[in-house]
Amino acid sequence: MIEFVPLRKNQRVELADGSFVTVTDKLGEGGQGIVYRVRCDGGEERALKWFFIGYLNDPKKFYGHLKDNIQVGSPSDAFVWPEQLTKWVEGETFGYTMKIFPKDYQPFSKFLLARVNFANVRAMVDAALNMTVAFKALHNKGYNYQDLNDGNFSINPLDGKVLICDNDNVVGHGEYSGILGKPRYMAPEVVRGDKQPDKSTDRFSLAVVLFMLLIGYHPLEGTKTNYPALTNKYEKKIYGTEPLFIFDEKDASNAPHPAIHKNAPVMWNFFPSFVKAAFQQSFSQESLLNGKNRLLEQDWLNILMRLKSSIVRCPHCGEEMFLESDKATVCQSCKKTVKAAGYLNFAPRANHEVTVPIFNGVKLYDYHVDSASEDFATEAAVVLEKPGKFGLKNNSRFNWKVKTPEGKIFARQVGEVLVLAANAKIDFGNKNIAQVIVND
Amino acid sequence: MGILDKVELPRKMCPVIFLLDTSGSMGGAPIGAVNAALESVLPELISMNDSNPDNEIKVAVLTFDFDAEWKFGGEELLLPEEVKDSWNDLDANGPTSMGAAFRALNEKLSTSHGFMKRASGSVAPVLFLLSDGEPTDDYQAGLQKLKNNNWYKIAVRVAVGYGDSNDDVLREFTMNAETVMHTDNPAELKKMIKFIAVTSSRVASQGGNMSTDDDNTGGVATALQAQGGSLNASADEDW
Repeated sequence: MIEFVPLRKNQRVELADGSFVTVTDKLGEGGQGIVYRVRCDGGEERALKWFFIGYLNDPKKFYGHLKDNIQVGSPSDAFVWPEQLTKWVEGETFGYTMKIFPKDYQPFSKFLLARVNFANVRAMVDAALNMTVAFKALHNKGYNYQDLNDGNFSINPLDGKVLICDNDNVVGHGEYSGILGKPRYMAPEVVRGDKQPDKSTDRFSLAVVLFMLLIGYHPLEGTKTNYPALTNKYEKKIYGTEPLFIFDEKDASNAPHPAIHKNAPVMWNFFPSFVKAAFQQSFSQESLLNGKNRLLEQDWLNILMRLKSSIVRCPHCGEEMFLESDKATVCQSCKKTVKAAGYLNFAPRANHEVTVPIFNGVKLYDYHVDSASEDFATEAAVVLEKPGKFGLKNNSRFNWKVKTPEGKIFARQVGEVLVLAANAKIDFGNKNIAQVIVND
Repeated sequence: MGILDKVELPRKMCPVIFLLDTSGSMGGAPIGAVNAALESVLPELISMNDSNPDNEIKVAVLTFDFDAEWKFGGEELLLPEEVKDSWNDLDANGPTSMGAAFRALNEKLSTSHGFMKRASGSVAPVLFLLSDGEPTDDYQAGLQKLKNNNWYKIAVRVAVGYGDSNDDVLREFTMNAETVMHTDNPAELKKMIKFIAVTSSRVASQGGNMSTDDDNTGGVATALQAQGGSLNASADEDW
C-alpha cells in the first residue's frame, strides 16, 4: 500500500500542466481525503482535494478516470467539477484542484439536522428543481453518479441554488467506478448485489434525496425497520432485500412511528396528491424489488413545477401552503379549508398534468408559457385578485391570445392584465394553450 | 407550524467508548498525553455530529486502576460537548484492573439494562482500549463475558499499547492485529490516540462499508492503514 503523505503549509505542489499551487490552509477532512486551500501562482484561490491513496484499488486508473472527466467537462454550473490534476508521480499521493465553495451555501446535512432552514417554501422547491435539473444534465452528458447521497449537496437557503461536490466517482455509461455508495441512498438492487450502479440506480437515489429534502425523513425507515441495533445484516434487509416505503399504499406495517419519526407523518400531509403519488410510485414494491416504474428527471421536473406553482399563502393564517388545483385543501397550519376558484389547465407534459390554481399571488414561469422551456425561475405571470374577479398579469416574453367560449378573440400584451373568465382559452404563444376551469 | 418547520431527523446512536488505563505507571507524561489527546478528540467528534445526518456520536469514558470506574457517561452516554464541558483531567494511580473494566463494559453494553437504549436505534459502537501494562486481575474472565456480548461482536475494536503494555492482551480484545498500535513515546502517544479515536469514530459513524459479515473492525483496519500518513504530521506543530 502506498503511504499517504499529507501536505504542509506553504508546500508547493506541481499540477499536471506544469504550473504550481501553494498550500495555504486546510479546509476539511473526509473519508476519502483531505481538502486544502491553495493559491495559484496567478493569485487566484482553489481547493485541492488530496486523496487517501491507500483506499484506491488502482490509483493510476483512478487518475486516468479523473483526467477523462476533466476533459469531457462539467455537466452544468451546479457541479464543482475537478479542474486540474496534480502531476502524476508513481507511488505518490495525488489530488485535483476545484473551485472553492461560496460561503452562502450550506451542506444538505445541516438542513436535515434542522440547523439551517430555507428562507421560504419556494426556495425549498427550487432546491428540489435544481437537484433534478443537475442530474438531468449529468445523465444527458452520458455520465452517472454512482454514489449519490446527501453529502454531495450544498444548498443556498435563500434561493435554493444547489452545488454538487465530490464528483470523483461520476463515470460514463456502462463504466463502473467500484464505489457502491451509501446504503441509505443506494438502490435496493445495488444493496442486494444484483446490479452495479447506473442511471436507473441514480434515479432511485435522486428520489430518496428529494424525499429527504421535502419530507425531512428517510422513505424506508419506519416502525418495522426501527431495529435497536443497525447491523450490516439489518441494513441489507431495510435497504435491499425487504425494503418497504413508510407510506406504502397497500402495506402500512412500516408506517412512521409518530414519537420517533416526527417529521414524516406531519410533513407528508402538507403535500398535494400528485407529489404523494410520485413518491408512492418511486418507492413502490415494483420499484424497490424490480427496479421498475422509477421516475425520470423529466417526470420530477414536471411534478415539481406543478408544486412550485401551487404555493399560496393561507388566507386564514398567512402560512405558506400547497394548494390543490381542483379540490379543497386543508391548511396544515390552521386546519382550515382553502379552495381555489378554479385553475389553468395546460396540455399534459410527458404524461403529467400541468395545472395552476387560480389564487391570489400564484406565479407562472417561463416553463408554462413555452412548452419547450424548462426555465422554472423566470416569472412569466402572476395571479391577481380584486373583489369578485381574478386577473393574470402578463410578465412573459410573449403577447397572449385569448379566446372566450363565445368565440371572441383578443390579445393581452406584455404588462397587461387578463381577467380570468370561465372556460376562456389562453394561448401564451407558440400554441401553448391553457383553459380556465372553474371549480364547482 | 408550517412546511418549513421540520425538526432534526432522528439519528441512530454511534457510541464511542474509551477504556483507559490509569494505573500508577501511567503517571506523569503518559497520562498528560492521554488527557491532552481526549481534549483534542472531543471537538472532532462534535464537528462530526454537526454534519452527519445518519448517526450521532455519544461518548463514555471508563478508567481502570484499583477498580473500574465510569468517569463519564456510565448511566447514559453523553454528547461529546457534554463531556468536553465537564472534563476533568484523569489521574494515574494503582494497579491495572483490566478484567474489572471488561466486566463493567459488558454490563453497560446492553439495550435492556445498559446504556445502549435509544428509540431510533444504534449502530456498532467504537470500543477504544488503552493500556501500558500487564493486567493485574483476571482479565480473561472479563473478556470471556464480553465475547458473548452481541454489541461487542459487531463493535469497532481498536487499541493503543504504551510502554510495557502486553499487546497480546490488546489483540485478544480487538481480535484484529491491525487495529492495535504501539508506541513508547508520550508525544507520539497523544497523536496516536487522537488518530485512532478520530478515524474509527468517523468510519463507525459514517457507516456504509457494506461488508457481508457483521464485524466492523475490519473496515476500520483498512481506514487506519490508508490514512496512516496523517500521523506523519505532529499534532502540536503550527499549521
